[in-house]
Amino acid sequence: MSLFIDTCNYRLIVAVVDEESGKVLTIHNERIDGDLSAYIFRIIDECISSAGITPDDIKKVYSVVGPGSFTGIRIGVTISKTFAWAKKIKCIPISSLEVLASTSVSTDLVVPMIDARRACVYGAIYDRDLNPVLEDSYISLESLSNNLPKEKSYTFVSDEDLNYFADVVESNVDVLKIINKHNNDEGVNPHILNPCYLKMTEAEANLLSKKND
Amino acid sequence: MEDVYILAFESSCDETSVSIIKNGHEEIATVVLSQMDIHALYGGVVPEIASRYHVESITLVIEECLKKANMTMDDITAIAVTYGPGLIGSLLVGMQAAKTLSYLYNKPLVPVHHIAGHIYANNLVEPMKFPLMALVVSGGHTEIVLMKDDYEFKKIGGTLDDAVGEAYDKVARVLNLPYPGGPLIDKLSFEGEDTYSLPTPLDDDSYNFSFSGLKSAVINMSHNEIQRGNPIRKADLACSFQNRVVDILVKKTIKAMKEYNVYNLIVAGGVAANKGLRNKLTEECAKEGYHLVFPVMKYCTDNAAMIGAAGYYAYKLGRVSDLTLNSKANDELK
Repeated sequence: MSLFIDTCNYRLIVAVVDEESGKVLTIHNERIDGDLSAYIFRIIDECISSAGITPDDIKKVYSVVGPGSFTGIRIGVTISKTFAWAKKIKCIPISSLEVLASTSVSTDLVVPMIDARRACVYGAIYDRDLNPVLEDSYISLESLSNNLPKEKSYTFVSDEDLNYFADVVESNVDVLKIINKHNNDEGVNPHILNPCYLKMTEAEANLLSKKND
Repeated sequence: MEDVYILAFESSCDETSVSIIKNGHEEIATVVLSQMDIHALYGGVVPEIASRYHVESITLVIEECLKKANMTMDDITAIAVTYGPGLIGSLLVGMQAAKTLSYLYNKPLVPVHHIAGHIYANNLVEPMKFPLMALVVSGGHTEIVLMKDDYEFKKIGGTLDDAVGEAYDKVARVLNLPYPGGPLIDKLSFEGEDTYSLPTPLDDDSYNFSFSGLKSAVINMSHNEIQRGNPIRKADLACSFQNRVVDILVKKTIKAMKEYNVYNLIVAGGVAANKGLRNKLTEECAKEGYHLVFPVMKYCTDNAAMIGAAGYYAYKLGRVSDLTLNSKANDELK
């Protein structure tokens, strides 16, 4: 059994998946309502126990590592890495943009976006098999727009109101599609499962620019 | 009685720490990963950077601690964690790690107030004797707390503005001392003389403190001296500043001991490492016949050993929580 945890954005997604039968046994996929840190364990426990298993039956953790809300990412990644370390199980990092890109679309490409403020997003371009065409980036909306291949059709996916592009659809995450894509990944040692922020802190950026001056 | 082993977590600021404490007083193993060198680059703790380093190191620190103790999670009785106060992003990392282990191994989860931890650091030196007075002095706190028994905290006074450690760090910045400047002022003060005329901080009948006036006086005076072209005699200024601070801390603490008829004094928090404060308190307590305890130096700064000591008594008193426990940036000691 595998546990999937995504706390990076507006939705908390926790799922228990039986990879052998290719079935999602339980899934919670709701907009985060209230203080995530206070209720996340209730959801994890509900997902695991309603799947009729115990935490000991979990043999792999798929951990969504960002980009997105810094605090949100850290909550999910800390739980995932502590869980995987304690139980000595595999830990597979997943991109939060790829999670959004798993939304079923009829176009050639998917453009997942997470608001990063100041007219920037965490964005990427994926094909329908979740292969990246443009890697996950911290990117201005304008640059993202300029990177869109002209000859292809695409769908914008975001759970926020990003008015820049018309016709942005809300995510409809397909956990099984993501797991099928990554179930042969080697995974990482839980100690080095770390958030993917895609953005240095302001203090680091200032220090760097001072050094470069 | 069965031995109680507390696995404790502390991540409220820039130290990632995990410890195992037996029966509230015996340290089995402690690991502290300090980020001080990193934050020194920025002249102070950058909360987002602190949170990032906590996530990167948390499982390594837990593993190292269990290894050092030669124990497994099965040997642990309960898990204690600093729930607050502190930097929320940092607190949340220790909290999730503690809750994950509590969930996986079905161990009771014990929330510990950071200042309770600093107070109970003294229990690692010798068993705390009640009633006692605790002088809590750190970068975020300056309080006099009366304790009649375990976990009975009665704050009888506190700072009205800056915490004492905060005042030290700000004065250190004026003197161009590298971060963290508090310990350097303490060191410098022994090389100088009390020659600068600085105001005495809030010297009234209350047990409250105010250090912002003294801090501003130092800042203004050094600006004026620089404008006049007079060099600042750093050691003398450090000595003058430290004397004002230590005098008022000691004066009000001793007064509180007398009024409340308490003979045991403990000191808690980062500023408990200050030699000027240690010397003066030792001297005054000897005069009055008070029993004085300081935490050992390594327990003055943030560490999980103190959380394990405090966590033991919280656990004994049934102060356990379910997994909805959350971190709090601010919370009263209770």
